[in-house]
Amino acid sequence: MNRERAETFLRLLAEAGLREPTVSLPPSTPRPTPFFTAPTGLLQATWALIAVGALDLETAEAILADVELALVARHGLTGPSRLGRLGLLARAGGGLLGGTGPAAPGPGMPAPAGAAPKGTAPTQTGGAPDRYVPVGRVVPFRDETASGELGLMSYAHTAAGARLTAVWQVRDPLGRPRHGVPPVGQFTVTDDRGGRYGLVFTAGGRTQSTCDLSLQPDPPADIRWLDITAPGEPAVRVGLDRGADDETRADGRSPQVSRTSQSAGEHLLNRVAERLLTIAPEFPHELRLQLAAVSPGPVFNLAAGLGAAVAALEAAEALSPLSPVPARLAALCEALRVPGHGITAPPAPDLPEPWLSMLSHYHRRRSDGTRPGDGFAAVGAALPELDGLRLVLLGLHNFDGSTWMDALVVEAGGRLPDRRHWAPGLDMAFPLSVWVRDGSGRWHVGRPAGWQENDDEAALTLRLLPPLTRSPGRIEVLAAGRSAEARVTLPLEWR
Amino acid sequence: MPNEAWFTCLPDCETTVPCGQGRHAVRWEAGSLRLPSHPDAESELVLAALGGDKARCVEVAQAWERHARDLSVLAIGPRGPEDRIAVGWADVDAAAQGPPMPGPLGPYGRLSGPMQPGSTSLARPPAAAMARAAARRRQLQGERDQVRLRRSDMLSLLALGYGFQVRLIGQVAAAHAAPGHDGQPGEHGRPALVAAIAGRLAPVAEQWLGIDPDQVVVTLHGGPGWGSCELTGRGEDRRLRVSLPTGWLASVWACGLALVGRHLVVAVPEPGWPTARVLGLRSPAAEPEPLDVHADPDGPADVPHWEI
Repeated sequence: MNRERAETFLRLLAEAGLREPTVSLPPSTPRPTPFFTAPTGLLQATWALIAVGALDLETAEAILADVELALVARHGLTGPSRLGRLGLLARAGGGLLGGTGPAAPGPGMPAPAGAAPKGTAPTQTGGAPDRYVPVGRVVPFRDETASGELGLMSYAHTAAGARLTAVWQVRDPLGRPRHGVPPVGQFTVTDDRGGRYGLVFTAGGRTQSTCDLSLQPDPPADIRWLDITAPGEPAVRVGLDRGADDETRADGRSPQVSRTSQSAGEHLLNRVAERLLTIAPEFPHELRLQLAAVSPGPVFNLAAGLGAAVAALEAAEALSPLSPVPARLAALCEALRVPGHGITAPPAPDLPEPWLSMLSHYHRRRSDGTRPGDGFAAVGAALPELDGLRLVLLGLHNFDGSTWMDALVVEAGGRLPDRRHWAPGLDMAFPLSVWVRDGSGRWHVGRPAGWQENDDEAALTLRLLPPLTRSPGRIEVLAAGRSAEARVTLPLEWR
Repeated sequence: MPNEAWFTCLPDCETTVPCGQGRHAVRWEAGSLRLPSHPDAESELVLAALGGDKARCVEVAQAWERHARDLSVLAIGPRGPEDRIAVGWADVDAAAQGPPMPGPLGPYGRLSGPMQPGSTSLARPPAAAMARAAARRRQLQGERDQVRLRRSDMLSLLALGYGFQVRLIGQVAAAHAAPGHDGQPGEHGRPALVAAIAGRLAPVAEQWLGIDPDQVVVTLHGGPGWGSCELTGRGEDRRLRVSLPTGWLASVWACGLALVGRHLVVAVPEPGWPTARVLGLRSPAAEPEPLDVHADPDGPADVPHWEI
């Protein structure tokens, strides 16, 4: 990574943009959102360099602020309202967009030399290994106003505490779905040693109808079971003897790890490709085939100026000029009929299998109309460390036609990514790629949909796109970082 | 290379600034800003600190001092005589009254969409969260104040007009041209200086050779000598590769000497006003030749026009 070349490239790109007559803003041009006056390519190059750690946010802000004022001073000063809206610069201190202090390492980058992990060792619970157990039990509850079920997907005990990850449904006395949270404060929880616990409901980082129930006080690391009892209902025993590793090994499917050597630039561009592939499934089927042509639109906005981003990454030595990834990205843009990407590499003749699977779904002319019923599958699989992070799969659930994967991200020698690494339409808080192959061989990409940090770990919810069309008996999960990728096959029992 | 000050080839320059109930002269002389209407600016600053009004002339002089080493001046200021910036004092007043807005990264400055960034422990006390929020608000307010001051400074300096703009660019470049222990400008400023030279040399090169400004490649020259210049490639691969020291921006470009009599001026061995001796390139491959140049002392005072 060459930070000086990165900054020089960006500043020269800004100079070229300033010479372009197309970036001038006629005084009469209405600008409902007055933030961007810089050329698209400059913005794309900026976020790409920030994302790979070649440029710190403060420097990027300073460059863009200067460009903005340079443009406004030449083209935009027609009256007080315009200057008042465009004139503010995010230059001071740590910047309006970020926190204080220097930028943290980019996703997938090692922590600075000498940096110590925060607090307790990230993969230890009071000296004991972290514990992840698939549960798969249902706890019914009812009172005079509502009834429902709590579906316990998994039990996880880490340095941050012990919690059950669960889905729930609440119904009114007539059996209709209603809003509300399960009355877990009234539940009693005991362990095999007679210890008693309260449940604290936390929805941070989870989607609607999913939660984490933390046990308080923190239980011993080696409890064998929990009895959970809702008022007026029999106790439900949650066995904790079987750990994630036990299950995967018993099934002969230990995670397979293979080393890879993606550059930071390649990893970023692959994330961009994944995002391009996931935009369409977020829209109704009848709109998908037109999405790429909508300008400005979500697909166009993400792809526009990618050529500048590729050039910036190459200038910063974050991407080899010989890398095949830009050509694949160009081919993907062609397949999606996205104009204006500006990637100069000729489109690659072949694409990775998961991309082709997604493209096949994207190009279908009509929806297959099938969707699985609501339900959940218990999972408790800790994947090997990838780029200093450990991804722990805690559950999979279908709800209202969407499929969600509930997970935990634990620091394992690295650090949780800095949330300040931003990108238009690209979630950079979670730096790994996660793909799921269902029983029929179709691939689904996991798009981050919820993220809640808690010291050395974060609750993460991934939305699988496209959603599962049935409840498969097993899935293959592929998680990829820059330095390695892990594959694991998980048997699923749906409830 | 000469030991004279970088501005030896520049005449004095004057403008007027709305100040109080009237307009006051602000003058640039021999590298310094002068306020003839405020002979005791120091005392005025003391009075302002005690609650009195601060004169705009004094504010402008303070802004000049604050940004005399600020590389942003090079990024924002003019690239040449054709690149006129039209900022007036009415714009400065309007900007001072404008509401604060998000920065240039705008709505993409933070993670958006369905992500729910936050850092809430399973059992973190609300008081701590409130304290963090209050500290964050104070930090943001401080940042906004600094942003507002910086915006006001920059616009005021631009409102002084082209002559003052190029002189401030010269001053900033000269401040960064002072070599470090390795004879090079500090690593921190190199990208901004390369861009600053490229942005100003490119239009000059276009006039000189008719080359596309995007085909001009600049590097910073350190050490002895004036630098280098060569033309390579053909067609789309044609490049004018120029290596110049940071001081070129001050002693050549800011003094209006970049292109004289179809020569690219690369150094000023004998600076002076209204005559000087410079080193000029007739073509990229040529050796620089000494040229005696002269300016019209009765010509425009903002930036002189030189002839051989």
